[in-house]
Amino acid sequence: MMVNKQFIPYKNESDVLQFGDMTIENRLDRITIYGNIDITKDKEGLEYALLLKQVIDTAIKELENTDELPDRIVITEVETVDNPFA
Amino acid sequence: MNKKILFLYVVIAIAINAAPTSCRGIYFDNNAPDILNPKLAPKTKELCYDEFAVMHSGISRTPLWSAEYLVGSKLNIKVDRTNDFRPEMRLSASDRAELSDYARSGYDRGHMAPARDFNTIQAESECFSLANMIPQNSNNNRKLWAGIEEATRALAKQKGKLYVVTGPIFEGSNLQRIGGRVLVPTKIFKAIYDPTDNQGAAYLVNNAPGNNYQVVSIAQVEQIAGIRIFPKMSPASKKNAMQLLALQKNENQHLIGEMASSNNRVKPMVLAYNKPASSMQCGIRKTCSKMSSCEEAMFYFHKCGDGRLDRNKDGIPCNKLCR
Repeated sequence: MMVNKQFIPYKNESDVLQFGDMTIENRLDRITIYGNIDITKDKEGLEYALLLKQVIDTAIKELENTDELPDRIVITEVETVDNPFA
Repeated sequence: MNKKILFLYVVIAIAINAAPTSCRGIYFDNNAPDILNPKLAPKTKELCYDEFAVMHSGISRTPLWSAEYLVGSKLNIKVDRTNDFRPEMRLSASDRAELSDYARSGYDRGHMAPARDFNTIQAESECFSLANMIPQNSNNNRKLWAGIEEATRALAKQKGKLYVVTGPIFEGSNLQRIGGRVLVPTKIFKAIYDPTDNQGAAYLVNNAPGNNYQVVSIAQVEQIAGIRIFPKMSPASKKNAMQLLALQKNENQHLIGEMASSNNRVKPMVLAYNKPASSMQCGIRKTCSKMSSCEEAMFYFHKCGDGRLDRNKDGIPCNKLCR
């Protein structure tokens, strides 16, 4: 799989990579990795393994270079509002 | 509001939304759903895409539905690709959701029409528009709902052609809202119509963690959603829920579509799996004929990932022992 642009973890809310049954989504407060994949002992397997490594490596670098990394991220509180459709 | 004006407004709203659709080849008999709950109607806009159509609400800043026409024979293509979540620029700034509304909310951007249903690069790319997204519980999106999407594709392959309409349901007097702008649905439906046998049914789930789901009739889901989802389906056939594929939960929490028994409400089946005897070890590859029990087969299948033990790919290893 050609990643035709750079996937920089935590940099935006838009990037998505899909390969095999895997999805990797970029968010500002996380990268989300879900699904499953076979890293088969062939060229495709190597490609997938390198892609995963690249994503994880850049995430680690980004995390290590973040000043005052919190113990846990803070989720913005959701509001409760009247249901306009009820 | 004066009752007369309210009545007039309701009539106009319904008339507008019952107008013929401009999105061709997506809806059964080219008839888009009709909005029945008048409170859903304001600020709606129909958006046509390459292989799907959306009715967007500028109030919830989500779709009210996303519609697709699934052709089973076209569903086998799987391509690795990069895409972008993005706001829908065809909507006015006040009506559309922005990426920042979902940021740091803890919610997934849950597709209503899923990327894996599409054949063209254009449609697959378009379905990442936020006009096709709801704030969805992450556990729900990645497990139960992913299973329902997979089961729907499997059904399309069996039946040949299906019309599918997917959307959120906003129930109760209060709702949650993210980013100060986007309403969080309480439930999600996926309504399916099989034109070959003139039958249909819908999956219905809470927008919450867990693996529980219901299969309901089209009449029931239309009533709950406040939308006439398949206007050209006969009222009689709407009353009976067709058999949908049941979801089966395996050890890895992946949900696999499988033909259900004939009852309309299907509870997810859970495979029994007990702690194996200490003598069982991964690394030794055993065939089904060498297994002494279903438990042993389950161990090698689930814990050691030996897919060869499930020759017929039904998610159950060594059918002679485990069926």
